[in-house]
Amino acid sequence: MSTPSTAAPAGPTQKPVTPKAPKPQKPKEDKPQKGKEDKPQKGKEEKVQRKDDAGPQAGALATGGEAKLTPKQLKELKKADKQARRAADKATAGVAPGGKPEVGAGGDKRGKPQQGPKGPSTEKKGGKADKAVKGSGATVAAHAGQAVTQRAPKKEIPLFRHLESPGQGVNLAGSHKDVHPAILALGLQMASYDICGSSARCVATLLAFKRVIEDYTTPAHTTLTRNLSSHHLSPQIEHLRSARPMSVSMRNAIRWLKLEISTINIDIPEHTAKKLLLDKIDSYIREKITIADHAIVATAVEKIVDGDVIVTFAKSNIVQMVLAEAHRKKIKFRVVVVDSRPLMEGAQLCQALSEFGIDCTYTLIHALSYAIRDATKVYLGAHAMLSNGRLYSRVGTAAVAMYAKEFEVPVIVCCESIKFTDRVGLDSIVTNELALPDDLTNLSITRYHPIVGKLSKWRDIPNLNILNIMYDVTPAENITLVITEYGSLPPSSVPVVHRLSTNQ
Amino acid sequence: MGPKSTAPPGLTSFLNILNKNENKHDTNAYIELFISLLSRRQIRNSRSVAIATAELLLRVISVYKWQDLNQLIAHIKEVGNRLMAAQPREMAVGNIVRRVLGLIREEYEGDSKAGNISVYSDSGLDSITGRKRGESTSVLFSNLQPVLDGGEAGLLKPQVTRTTFAHQGGQFTSMFSLLSHPGSPEQNGTSTPPPTSHSSVPPTPTQSITTTATTITTEKSPPGPPGPTRDMKPGIIEGLQEILDELLTVDDQIASYSLDHIHSNEIILTHGSSLTVQKFLLKAASKRTFTVIVAEGFPNDHEATHARVMGFDPTNPIDDDDILDEVPQEQFQKTLAQAGISVILIPDAAVYAIMSRVNKVILGTHAVLANGGLLAVAGARTIAKAARDHSTPVVVVSGVYKLSPMYPYDWEALVEIGDPGKVVSWEALGEIGEGVGEKVVSVLNPIFDYVPAELVDLYVTNLGGHAPSFLYRVVGDHYRHEDINLGV
Repeated sequence: MSTPSTAAPAGPTQKPVTPKAPKPQKPKEDKPQKGKEDKPQKGKEEKVQRKDDAGPQAGALATGGEAKLTPKQLKELKKADKQARRAADKATAGVAPGGKPEVGAGGDKRGKPQQGPKGPSTEKKGGKADKAVKGSGATVAAHAGQAVTQRAPKKEIPLFRHLESPGQGVNLAGSHKDVHPAILALGLQMASYDICGSSARCVATLLAFKRVIEDYTTPAHTTLTRNLSSHHLSPQIEHLRSARPMSVSMRNAIRWLKLEISTINIDIPEHTAKKLLLDKIDSYIREKITIADHAIVATAVEKIVDGDVIVTFAKSNIVQMVLAEAHRKKIKFRVVVVDSRPLMEGAQLCQALSEFGIDCTYTLIHALSYAIRDATKVYLGAHAMLSNGRLYSRVGTAAVAMYAKEFEVPVIVCCESIKFTDRVGLDSIVTNELALPDDLTNLSITRYHPIVGKLSKWRDIPNLNILNIMYDVTPAENITLVITEYGSLPPSSVPVVHRLSTNQ
Repeated sequence: MGPKSTAPPGLTSFLNILNKNENKHDTNAYIELFISLLSRRQIRNSRSVAIATAELLLRVISVYKWQDLNQLIAHIKEVGNRLMAAQPREMAVGNIVRRVLGLIREEYEGDSKAGNISVYSDSGLDSITGRKRGESTSVLFSNLQPVLDGGEAGLLKPQVTRTTFAHQGGQFTSMFSLLSHPGSPEQNGTSTPPPTSHSSVPPTPTQSITTTATTITTEKSPPGPPGPTRDMKPGIIEGLQEILDELLTVDDQIASYSLDHIHSNEIILTHGSSLTVQKFLLKAASKRTFTVIVAEGFPNDHEATHARVMGFDPTNPIDDDDILDEVPQEQFQKTLAQAGISVILIPDAAVYAIMSRVNKVILGTHAVLANGGLLAVAGARTIAKAARDHSTPVVVVSGVYKLSPMYPYDWEALVEIGDPGKVVSWEALGEIGEGVGEKVVSVLNPIFDYVPAELVDLYVTNLGGHAPSFLYRVVGDHYRHEDINLGV
C-alpha cells in the first residue's frame, strides 16, 4: 500500500503535466524533440523534467522536491504495477499481447510505463518505441490523444494515474483486422454504455463470442484447441477491453470459455467442436445468469413484505426483477430510486418499475439523507463482490449503504456468483475504472439531449481536472446480506461461495 | 412592482432600485419588492439575502419616524415578520432583523448608559460595540445616580435623550423607565430586580431627570418625538452600516484563519459553490500548495460550482448573469486553479469513494443553527457522514450572520424542496406518466441538507474557530434573547 501514500502527497504538486505523461501527443514533432531531449537527459534527469515542465505550463513547476526524490522510485512502482496488471490480465485472459494490447486506451499514459520493460531509455524514446510497436492502432490512439492535447496539456489526476485512462471512444479503423464485426458492434455498445451492467455485458460478450466461434475456421497446420483461444479470441478480447475495461463477470466468463476451449479433444472434428462450444456457452449463460437470477429473485422476494419502502441505487437488472416479482406477488411496497450523474441509469429503472405499476419515487444522490429516512430496506446490485466481502458497485452505492447503516436499514445485495472475484480491495482508488471526464460536462439529465454547461472548456484550464470514476467499494460492515443463487449469506462468506462456484 | 433596472431580478437589481431612491418615503414598495424577490427565489443564498435585508432595513429606519423605542421595534419586527414569512427558510433574513433589533435596543441602552458611564470611566463609546445587557446597565445606573445629579455640561445631550424618553412614560422596555416609574411593572420579565435594588432610592432618578430636563427644555421640546428619532437614528444607521460592512468583509475575515487550518500538500474536499470556502482556500493557496476536490452539488448548485471552478470569463457568453448576480462584488474572482491549486471536480456520488484520501472536508453553509447543526446544499450530509466514517475532520466555514438562533426541532421542515424538473426532465416525466395512466412517479429534489452537529468537527467564523457545542454561546452574544422569537 505504499502507492497511495506516496502518490497522495505527490498529487497536489505535480498535477496534470508530469514530465512522463505527454509523450505521444505530437507525433510530428517527435523526432526533433527527441533529439533535443536526449542530450540533457543523459546529463541529468531532473533537469529534463524541469525543461519539460516549463514547456507545457507553469503549474507543474512545483514538481520540485518530490520529483527529485522519487521519479526513479515512481517509475519503478509504475513498472511493477503495470507488470502486475499485465500478469493479472494475462492470467485471466491468457492473452499473448503481441504489439496490440494497449491500443485504444489513449496513448499518453501508456508511453511511460512501457518504457520500463524497454530498459532505461529516455521517455521520448519510450513513447516512440511504443508507437512503433503498436503500429496502426497506435497511430489512431495517438491521434485521439492529440485531439485532446492540442488544446491543453494532458489531464491526469495523480491519485488515479495508475488506472487506465478512459478510451477515447472505439477506433474502428484502428482495430485488429481479425476482430469480428459482432465484437466491433459490441465494443461500440459498451463504450457508449448502451450495454451496461455486469451481467448484461457478460451475456452480450458470450453471445458475441458465439458468433465469433460460428464464423471461425481453423487455419491449416493447427488445431482449434490451440488456435482459437490464443490467436483468434485474443484480438477480440483486446478489442472489447479497449472499448471499456472488462467487468469481473466478463473476465470470469472468458476465463471459463478458454478453459473449455483448451479441454476440447483435439480429435473432434471442427464443426462438432464448435457445436459443442456453442452449446456450452448457451448452458453457461442459462446456468450462471438466467437460472441464477431466478434463484436470487425467489430468495430476495421473500424479504419484501407489505409496507416496505425499498431504496435502491442506480439500476440493477436483478433488483428490477426482484421488485417486479414482488409486485407480481401483490406485495404492497414503495420504491425509492436514487440515481446519480452522469449515467442516470436509475431513470430507466424507475420508468420500468412505474410501468409495472409500482409506486416509485425518483431522486438523485444529493437527496440521500432525505430519501433514506423512511426506508425499510435497501436493495443493491453489484458489479462484483470482492473476496474480502466488500461490494464493488456503481459509484455512490457506498454512500447509500453508509446511510442505511446509520438509519439501521438492512442492506441487501443481489449478486450472481459469476460476479464474485478472488480479488480483494479496501478502497475505491486502487481498483476502479475511469470514465471520460467529458461525460460530466454534459449537464443533461436525459441521455438524449446533451446540454453543454460551463465546463465545456475545462481542458483549457491548467490545474483543473474532472474525475469520473465508475465504481466504489462498500465496506463489508455496511452490508447486511448478500443473496446469490447459492442462498443468502453474510459478506464474509463471499470467498467461500466463490470457491464453490469456480471449483465445481 | 417589476424591477425597473436592466439587471435581471436579483440582488443587483434590488440594490440598484434601492440606490435610485426614487420613492424614498414609500419603503413599503421596497419591502414588497424584496418580498416578491424572496418568494420567487430571485434572491437566494444567505449572503445576498442578508445584504438585501440589511440595506432594506437601512432604508426603512432612515425614513421611519418613531415616537418611542417600542414603536420602532414593533415596526422592524413587523417588517421582519413579513420578510420571513415570504421565505421562512432564508434564515439570514431573521438573523439580520434580530441583529438590527439588538442594535436598536443597544443603541437605546447605550444612549442611556453613555451618560452615566462616561462620568465615571469615560467609556461611553462602547455604546456601539458593547453588548452589555440591560441589567448591568441598570445596576450601574442606580449606583451612578448621585454623580449624575451633579451632571456636567458635556453630558447633557445623552441625558436629554433619556429624559425625553422618560417623559414619554413607561412604554418602553428599559430598566430606566422602570426606575422612573417604579409602579408600572408592565415591562418584560426583568422588571423585578431593579425596584428591589432601588427601593431606597426610587425618587432619585426621577429627580435627576427632572433637574436635567428642566435645564435643557429650551433646547429640546419635552413632548419630543423628533428628539430621540434624530438622536438615535445616526447611531442605528451607523450600526447597520457596520453590519453591512461585516457582510462584505466577513469572507475575508474568515479567510484570514485559513492558514491555521490547512497544511501543505493536503487534499481538501469541498462541496458546492460557496464563496466563503473559495476565499478561504484562495487565501491558503497564497502560501501553501494543496489539492482541492470539489463535489459539484448536482442538481441545484452544480452550475454555480462549475462557474466557480472555471472562473468567470466576461467574454464568454455561456457565463450568464444569474450566477454573477449572486455575488456582485466578486464577479471575476480568481479561481483556485489559477492560484496554482490543483482542482478536481467530482460528481456527488464519488464522495465516498474519494474520501479515503481526503485529509479535511471544508463545507460552506446556508445557515448554522444554534445547536451546532447546519443547513447546506443537499449532499453535504453525505459528505459529512462519509468523512465521519473515514475519521476525516469536517470544518465548516460560515459568517456569523448565518448563525441563526433557531433550533432544528424538525429538521425536515427546514429542508426546502426544489424544482423536480432539475432531477428529471419534463419529457422523461411525461414518458413515465404515459406508461401507466394514473401511476405517478414522485420526484424528490431537496435543496438543503441538515447536517447534525455531531458530524461537524469545527466551525470557523469571522470570530475565529468554535466547537459546534460552543455555538449557542455565540448566538447569545449576537442576538438579544428578547428578539429570538420574532413572532408576536
